Amino acid sequence: MSTTPSGAKSRKRFKLPEETSVLIALIVLIGIVGALRPTFLKPVNLLNLAASYAIAALIAGCIVFLLSMGEIDLSFGWILNLSAVVAGLSMIAGIPVWIAIVLGIAAGTVMGALNGLLTVFMRLPLIIVTLGTASVFQGISLISNNSGSVVPTDKKITEHIFFRALGGSIDTPVPIILIFVLLAFVVLHLTLHKTRFGYRILAIGSNPEAARLAGIPTKKIKIQVCALMGAVSGVGGVLFLGFRGAVDPSTGGQMLLPVVAAAIIGGTPLSGGAGTVWGSLIGAMIVGVIGVGVVFIGIDAVWGTLVTGLVILFAIGVDQIVRVRKKRAI
Amino acid sequence: MMKSHKVRVGVLALAATMAITAGGVVSPAQAKEKKLTIGFVVHVVGNPFIQQIIDAAKMAAKDLGVTIKVTGPAGAEGDAQLTAAQNLAAAGVDGIATSVPSASMVNGLNAIIKSGIPVVQFNGLGEGVNGPYVGEKSTQSGRILGKMVLDKIGGTSAKGSVIVGNCYPGFPVLENRQKGVLESLAKASGVKIVGPSDVKVDAAANFAAWQGLLAATPDALAMVGLCAPDVESIGKVNKAASNTTTIGAGYDLTTGNLEALANGSAHISLGQTPFIQGYLPVYILVDSIRKGIKINKPGFIDAGTEVVTATSVTEPFKLPALTFAKLQAMAKSQAKTRAYYEPVVKGYIKDWKKNLKPIADESA
Repeated sequence: MSTTPSGAKSRKRFKLPEETSVLIALIVLIGIVGALRPTFLKPVNLLNLAASYAIAALIAGCIVFLLSMGEIDLSFGWILNLSAVVAGLSMIAGIPVWIAIVLGIAAGTVMGALNGLLTVFMRLPLIIVTLGTASVFQGISLISNNSGSVVPTDKKITEHIFFRALGGSIDTPVPIILIFVLLAFVVLHLTLHKTRFGYRILAIGSNPEAARLAGIPTKKIKIQVCALMGAVSGVGGVLFLGFRGAVDPSTGGQMLLPVVAAAIIGGTPLSGGAGTVWGSLIGAMIVGVIGVGVVFIGIDAVWGTLVTGLVILFAIGVDQIVRVRKKRAI
Repeated sequence: MMKSHKVRVGVLALAATMAITAGGVVSPAQAKEKKLTIGFVVHVVGNPFIQQIIDAAKMAAKDLGVTIKVTGPAGAEGDAQLTAAQNLAAAGVDGIATSVPSASMVNGLNAIIKSGIPVVQFNGLGEGVNGPYVGEKSTQSGRILGKMVLDKIGGTSAKGSVIVGNCYPGFPVLENRQKGVLESLAKASGVKIVGPSDVKVDAAANFAAWQGLLAATPDALAMVGLCAPDVESIGKVNKAASNTTTIGAGYDLTTGNLEALANGSAHISLGQTPFIQGYLPVYILVDSIRKGIKINKPGFIDAGTEVVTATSVTEPFKLPALTFAKLQAMAKSQAKTRAYYEPVVKGYIKDWKKNLKPIADESA
């Protein structure tokens, strides 16, 4: 070791980020679709694509925390929905827009915390608890607006800066929702990888018993992570309301597969103990490009679903094979 | 580490290639042809009724010599559907036909229209979309169904429970149908409505929901559904329970629904003319683009209502009389369907501008 030249030493230490492989895959994917349909590569198309998948990406960035802890939440789509309904109905009721937004996010946080409390006190995996709470949140959402859409139509609301900025009425080179989500990703990344809270999450996911014996308050951390998941889903909900100008009874209901797929394709294992927030962002973009590519190339709807599913399944499966090989190599 | 990275990259790139090639890339010859491309977006893929609409849209594309790109989410969700429409717009289609099941799609669709791509709605109406809508008079069709059910259970003097199921609460067209059904049934003061219950879209969940509802109200006079899977499910539930007294009623003329009417396990199904809902939007788009007609404001074209029982078939637009057996044969054959609707294609559809009414007519 002492005889190794310093240059060689620094080369040896250089390690590509974990996300490099999926980033290259994303670029290759964009390249293939772009080669077949050059209009796809127009910056405006790419930015709109990214904006359309931004909310799912944001949720994927946060579900990495739960996956890293060895847990999974099935209710986040309905938390997103109900949070948006709370915010929208509050606005319609005359509550100032910013306060309504805070109420929506607070509602999401409470729902997430409830998931955490139930999983800790009932000593059940989060996946089982959220099987039930997902229907509860969906049901409350349907009851809240008599199973209709929540559409704020008052000009005082629709011309508020929040709706104009997110809805695209204000011209910006990059969609505002995208800027917001990228900033959120920086915060999520730093939280998971640079804070004590993040290290504790990874420690619990790696070995819950060892974490508990090491003095980590595992129950408290679980509740906190669930509350964080709820808060981020709540943020997703109010962003959706601003972005689309309405929330429907079905909003969020089909979000589970793309979000979880994004996190896993991005490199976060289901087994816990590791996770990459940036990887989930790239994973979300891969899911998005597959979806858009299917449309751009004109694959019939009947085939499109199958193709999308197969590609996701294939990517997840082979990623797992690679991980097993890596472990064996160590 | 580097080796595993390479493997992952290779694998994911291969996955990408699979995505691109598996569905069949448009041939160079097709790409060179300068013909219109129409995007057709449905709210759910894999539903027999929606497939009838898609088939009709493809027939229109073939008749008019245009390319059609059909897309839609596997599970009904407005945001995924809007994204699909936006992707089609970005891909350069000349016009888009889409159902609009969600209010959250309205702003996005209007942005597409503003960019110069005309949009025609079908089957699901989005209030505020700046484009015409092709569909049934939803509240009125609910009234027709409610009246027919009421007639079968004893008219205004009927006494007992009627179960009402809505497979997609919140879907505006279904809410309108429900309103119409309840309006008609309310004319019998002795009728107690059970529901409306969420009976789900998925066929298996739909069957289970109706089974549970009948088990909870075994003496129900009728079961009334508002969606395509209901009549078939109600028929199966009646058959399984050897129930010959509860009237089964609902919507759409899928093969399964017609079979339930034929074997007597269900009794009434209203069709909403999927041929017209698929064919007409494509026709309007192509005709308006070729002739430079602006269609960027709301309007309504009635797709008509078909009334079918085991003993009678009433078709709209003065179409030739049909027997139940002929209707069943049509449900299984695209060629027979196309031939039957020829007079409508040459008349009502060709004259779509004359038949365009104010949007308020839809819910009148």
